[in-house]
Amino acid sequence: MAMKYLHKYPKKFRGTGGIRPMLQALKTMVKTTVHRPVTIMYPYEKEWIPDNYRGRPGLRFDRCIGCGICERACPTKCITIVEVEDDDGKIVRRPQVYVGRCMMCGYCAEYCPVDAMTTTPDYELAEFTRKDLIYDPRRLAFEGTTEMMEVHLEEHLQSNLDKGIEKPTAFFDTDRPVLDDNLCIGCSRCAKVCPTSAIEMVVVGQNAKGRDIKRPKLDSTKCVCCERCVIECPKDALEIEEVL
Amino acid sequence: MSELSRTGYQTDKMWVTMGPQHPFSHGLWTLRVKVDGEYILDAEPEVGYLHRGWEKECENRTYAKIIPMADRLCYSASMTWSHLYCKVAEEALDVELPERAQYLRVIADEICRIQSHLMWLAALGTDLGSLTIFLWCLREREFFLDLNVRLCGQRLTTNYPRIGGVRNDMPYYFERDCMRVVTRFEKALWDIINLTDESTVFVNRLKGISYLTRKQVANLGITGPAMRGCGVDYDIRRDDPYAAYDKLDFEVPVLKEGDAYARYMVRIEEMFQSCELIRQAFNALQKIPKTSPYRLKVSRNIPEGTHMARIEDPRGDAMMYLVSDGTGSPYRLKVRSPVFVNVSASKAMLEGCRVADIPAVMAMIDMCLGETDR
Repeated sequence: MAMKYLHKYPKKFRGTGGIRPMLQALKTMVKTTVHRPVTIMYPYEKEWIPDNYRGRPGLRFDRCIGCGICERACPTKCITIVEVEDDDGKIVRRPQVYVGRCMMCGYCAEYCPVDAMTTTPDYELAEFTRKDLIYDPRRLAFEGTTEMMEVHLEEHLQSNLDKGIEKPTAFFDTDRPVLDDNLCIGCSRCAKVCPTSAIEMVVVGQNAKGRDIKRPKLDSTKCVCCERCVIECPKDALEIEEVL
Repeated sequence: MSELSRTGYQTDKMWVTMGPQHPFSHGLWTLRVKVDGEYILDAEPEVGYLHRGWEKECENRTYAKIIPMADRLCYSASMTWSHLYCKVAEEALDVELPERAQYLRVIADEICRIQSHLMWLAALGTDLGSLTIFLWCLREREFFLDLNVRLCGQRLTTNYPRIGGVRNDMPYYFERDCMRVVTRFEKALWDIINLTDESTVFVNRLKGISYLTRKQVANLGITGPAMRGCGVDYDIRRDDPYAAYDKLDFEVPVLKEGDAYARYMVRIEEMFQSCELIRQAFNALQKIPKTSPYRLKVSRNIPEGTHMARIEDPRGDAMMYLVSDGTGSPYRLKVRSPVFVNVSASKAMLEGCRVADIPAVMAMIDMCLGETDR
């Protein structure tokens, strides 16, 4: 590898003055007189942007399960989970984004286990009041969401790679909550908050007073590792076990 | 009339305050210079107008949430700063990057270096009164920002590296676009050089001012192109390689002159070398299968310990020092900003120069206040 500029140029510099700079300037002028314009008349014509452009977050209302991973992943805390009516009139939990605070990092789309959150190429977000910048779940919907706007989390486990398996995975496929049996009081709060109803309370025995002892049982295929059960547990009996 | 004796008069030295809002200062900072007529006797930089408590804010965030914040340390070198943060976290976790991620990071870093140097050249052009250089450089920079958009979705706040890899694999058209831009840029840069190096005014204003010796460079801790322009042959990419730099072949431009013009030439050559690095990295990427991993799953908690990582920023030697206490957020994250150290050399650089040289000399630091004040 050789230097491209240093070997060629400083030797050629002929000091100051003389006709050479003028000739060079003339040459450059002739060369650059005719060329395509690079200016874009912005409000009337817009630059092409690819689909994976990270503008404001978008939401596919029907896909969302209201797990709240986006809320916790958000670095600026611009996402809050609110309760709204879905098409059937049922109350569901969906994210609401305060776009005025959003830093367009795309973490919500990246960590969404069901790809309901997407990035959108929508960047013209100016409004007259701050309140208008709050995007409720219905307003978050983006017309013409394509597959490119989804961000897929494709991580590889080191343990898999050591075995020679190259299969992408993500934390919502591998990490699962585990129960510390001694701490659990069987309040079944975890089962109530689980967005995917992966937790089911099962009776494991009876205590001295003759009442049922309940313990949560996890359906690993349904769980998305949203950690809501871990946060809600009053006795900190649940903990996420990471698979690496 | 008898001849006036020169010794009988007290000529005043004057402190002139330039900034925080001043055309020469790219960002909010103050340079106080002591002038004797036209000559500068002393200079004193004052930074801190943009202090936002970055390091303290990191202590309240989980490790993943700091990556987009690291982007905002420097508006034009965002990729290297988030790379540096990920690197220190990876060292703490003892993770070895997948090969594909290493090359993708090199490509992203070099795109970042070129566009940062172009921003510097544009600013230097305006400082020396040539608006054409500014417009041409920004036109070329736009292509590299477009590459950023294609790679990770944003122009400046890239948020591309992740702890254990990169955010996404490159799109299928990225290599084609990148090669076109690099080939085009190598030609276009010669056009810009025709504007600068062939211009008597431009060269005369840079040549022979603000000499620094190797001793001064060592004592003041100057790093980056400003150091390599003074004859110190040191580049972290080559001497303490990270990512895939040890597998790539490139030259580190070093000049012995030590004046502002040498610093300018080092940066221009670095842009050519970055183009070559991008080309080599793509050649190496073609040998790696497309489905190979580019991101490892890492633990969200970092084990207890202290870790240090450094990287070659476009402006110099960037360093981060992490003290982790075993939880999900850092106990302390210290940033060593190259500009913060380089700007402290302004006295050594400006002594003996004239007032009109200040923009040209200070432009050679490539001031970026986001990382200086953090």
